[in-house]
Amino acid sequence: MTPVVELDRVSHLFGARGGKGGTTAVADLDLTVRPGEFTTLLGPSGCGKTTTLRMIAGFLQPTSGRILLEGVDATRTPPEKRNIGMVFQSYALFPHMTLRDNVGYGLRTRKVASGEARRRAEEALALVGLAHLADRKPAELSGGQQQRVALARAVAIRPSVLLLDEPLSNLDAQLRVQMRRELLRVQRETGLTAVLVTHDQDEALELSDTMVILNEGRLEQQGSPRDVFPRPANRFVAEFLGYDNFPEVPGHGPVTVRPEHVRLLSEDAREDSGETGLDGTVGEVTFQGSNCLVEALIDGVEGPGSVLRVLHPGDDLRPGDPVRIALPHRHLVELPAREVTTA
Amino acid sequence: MILRRPFLSLLAAAAFVLMLGPVVILVGVAFTAGSTLAFPPEGLSLRWFRAALAYGPFIDSFGTSMLVAAVSTVIALALGVPATLALHRGHPRGRRIMENLFFAPIVVPELVLGLALFQQLMVGMRVTAVGALIVGHTVLLLPYTVRVVGASLALADARLEEAARGLGAGPVRTFFTVTLPVMAPGILSATILAFITSLNNVPLSLLLTGPGVATLPVEMLNYVQSSFDPVVAAVSVLLLALSVAVALATERLVGFTKVFGR
Amino acid sequence: MSRPSTSAEAARVASRRRLLPRPPITILLVPGLAVMLFAFCYPVVATLAWPPDGDPATVARETGSLLTDPYLLPVIARTVRVAVLTTALCLLMGFPVAYLISRAPGPWPGRLLALAIFPLLLNTVVRTYGWIVVLGGNGLISRISEALGLGRVQLLYTETAIVLGLVQLFLPLMILSAYSSLSQQDHRLEEAARGLGASPGRAFRDVVFPLALPGALVGCTLVFAGAVTAFTTPQLLGGPRERLLSTLLYSRVNVSLDWPSASAIALVMTALVLVVGALSGRLGKIGSTTS
Repeated sequence: MTPVVELDRVSHLFGARGGKGGTTAVADLDLTVRPGEFTTLLGPSGCGKTTTLRMIAGFLQPTSGRILLEGVDATRTPPEKRNIGMVFQSYALFPHMTLRDNVGYGLRTRKVASGEARRRAEEALALVGLAHLADRKPAELSGGQQQRVALARAVAIRPSVLLLDEPLSNLDAQLRVQMRRELLRVQRETGLTAVLVTHDQDEALELSDTMVILNEGRLEQQGSPRDVFPRPANRFVAEFLGYDNFPEVPGHGPVTVRPEHVRLLSEDAREDSGETGLDGTVGEVTFQGSNCLVEALIDGVEGPGSVLRVLHPGDDLRPGDPVRIALPHRHLVELPAREVTTA
Repeated sequence: MILRRPFLSLLAAAAFVLMLGPVVILVGVAFTAGSTLAFPPEGLSLRWFRAALAYGPFIDSFGTSMLVAAVSTVIALALGVPATLALHRGHPRGRRIMENLFFAPIVVPELVLGLALFQQLMVGMRVTAVGALIVGHTVLLLPYTVRVVGASLALADARLEEAARGLGAGPVRTFFTVTLPVMAPGILSATILAFITSLNNVPLSLLLTGPGVATLPVEMLNYVQSSFDPVVAAVSVLLLALSVAVALATERLVGFTKVFGR
Repeated sequence: MSRPSTSAEAARVASRRRLLPRPPITILLVPGLAVMLFAFCYPVVATLAWPPDGDPATVARETGSLLTDPYLLPVIARTVRVAVLTTALCLLMGFPVAYLISRAPGPWPGRLLALAIFPLLLNTVVRTYGWIVVLGGNGLISRISEALGLGRVQLLYTETAIVLGLVQLFLPLMILSAYSSLSQQDHRLEEAARGLGASPGRAFRDVVFPLALPGALVGCTLVFAGAVTAFTTPQLLGGPRERLLSTLLYSRVNVSLDWPSASAIALVMTALVLVVGALSGRLGKIGSTTS
């Protein structure tokens, strides 16, 4: 099947004049989005994820490389000719139009007959549960409702790809989780291909078929959440996904492990066969309700590599207690020896 | 941008040519060696600058203009800053009406105000031309001071002053250590804006003239209507240079578009 | 004799105690208000109603004759026509400029805006005088036209000249007003329209312009009021042949010393400005409730 979106060695330099100077926002990025898939671009602010999305939409031009939409080179195609459905972080609802006119706008520019346009606008509003507010203006809605309208407006034109630029980041935590499900439901029901930009790893894990992790304009890792999460490819991805520990384990190269996967045993207990055992001492202990966050210091190791942060069930450890640290092999992720830093 | 919007860009270019073209042409005319208004100039010389500086009425009226601008700016600030403070912090009854009264001179045509001051002060009360000019310009500038200083006060949080009082500062100390510094950029903006407004005024100053007394723009207008030599072009270039200096100084002090972009 | 109620007395004492040691801050309004009453309200009202050698009846009569006089009525009509044309041209040129400035990259919005409003620092004689060189019988346009074999053209002292001069004078005001609403607009709105299939022109028409309309309306009001009351430009570029209300008023005072008639003209001018101001205020309110 032809990919919906294909980036072919796409770069974007900000403030570049005549191909010289400027800061690199995106460097030599390859990306393939298959039909019906939900892809997320994940990374910290400034990693180039929004720049990438805006290049797919046509609001920015790549400095080099090609963008193909449904197999056709669209690098120089203006946004209005790309058949994209964009949802902005600020929603960008037209304040002077009713919801019906907002959602129907993309149909009117496509010269859909007015009766048909009206029907499809209302259909799209019904999809997000707001058909009863069709005659309201955006200012009369809550943030969550505005978000739904923005989604309906993008979906109504039956775009070849739905582009979502941090659409949930302006919502409070509870609403955000709720809207995630809503977003996934709408995408599954319409069968649309979607590309979402986010800095929230939970959002990416929950929504993605494919997650693409970016850092300083470069691709760090790409794959399904089930592949990426347990096997971060390098230290950056590991840190971004919440792997807090980068211990120096005697007999190992650089490794990482999640706090919930380390076990702290009493000093004289022995680890299981699938585990590496180390002697250690309890440092700081922070009570967190159902468990404690314990800093265990590996004996005989100096510096930051001696610290292991461990989610420990129970509240039986005190600073200074000697402990046995058990690292399960199947959760111990080997990292490449040295980060290759490219200028 | 320009390539993508050829029609809009063309319109914009036309607008800039229209706004600045006549001034640029005037600069060319000022350096002519000939004795008529002609562009392109017939040879280059500074003779019209010498003529301008030797023409007594321009020198006198420039003095009058500076005096009127300085005095009326100071009075407008002295009246406007306390009034603004009272309007914003005193919550007086009828605040809207009083604000509208201060802004009213913007709505009434300047020529009408000039006529009124001429009839009532100069004819009715025998006030001198300079006196009437100062009174008129003060009234003209008051709305600017009230609005510009008011904008800086409205932006500042009144709770700043409450915080100072809560930290043990008395009302006077609060005024000098908190309120005044907050207002300072606004007062500076208002001063520059008021001074320039006074200096450039024509319609209000037009009727407030006496024997040998007029402001520079009015004197320039009168000269232009009676003779067609390029002296006024030379004066214009001198004023242009002054304006560039004011613009640069303003940009350094408060920001050019912040002061004149209101 | 009934004793005053103690609570009323207490209140009075309290208020006196509050008043005496520290006068309220509102006392700072007194000098400003006094000057406004003496130097603005009194002279303007007196002049509009009661000029030195007349009374309200003469002003009323003069205003009546102004509105029926076959010589004066065309002056009012010309003033309105010139102001409307000026406003329309300023909107037509100023709005696109403001739009381009607001969407320019990097430091350019600030620079271009500064360039556009720099002329505001110059007096109107300086800004208008150049037109005489351009439009006069010996002027630039006339000589170009002659060189092209079209003969000389005298644009000076025509209505066209006045409109050109006024457009030059008031373009910065229109640009400023339009820019202030355009620069506050969320650029994503325009992108949203483009993403939904609107061409740049259509996005401008459907989204950018309607949302900046309040700013444009403010600009139109300022330009119209300015054009009705401007003096230097019609005086220099229109001359005695093409009188507007302002130049007529001046000649009534300075040449014919006809004060009641000057008052009547002043009244009409003020009324024009106030009516248009009120009208645009109403329009703005309607616009803001429907949008």
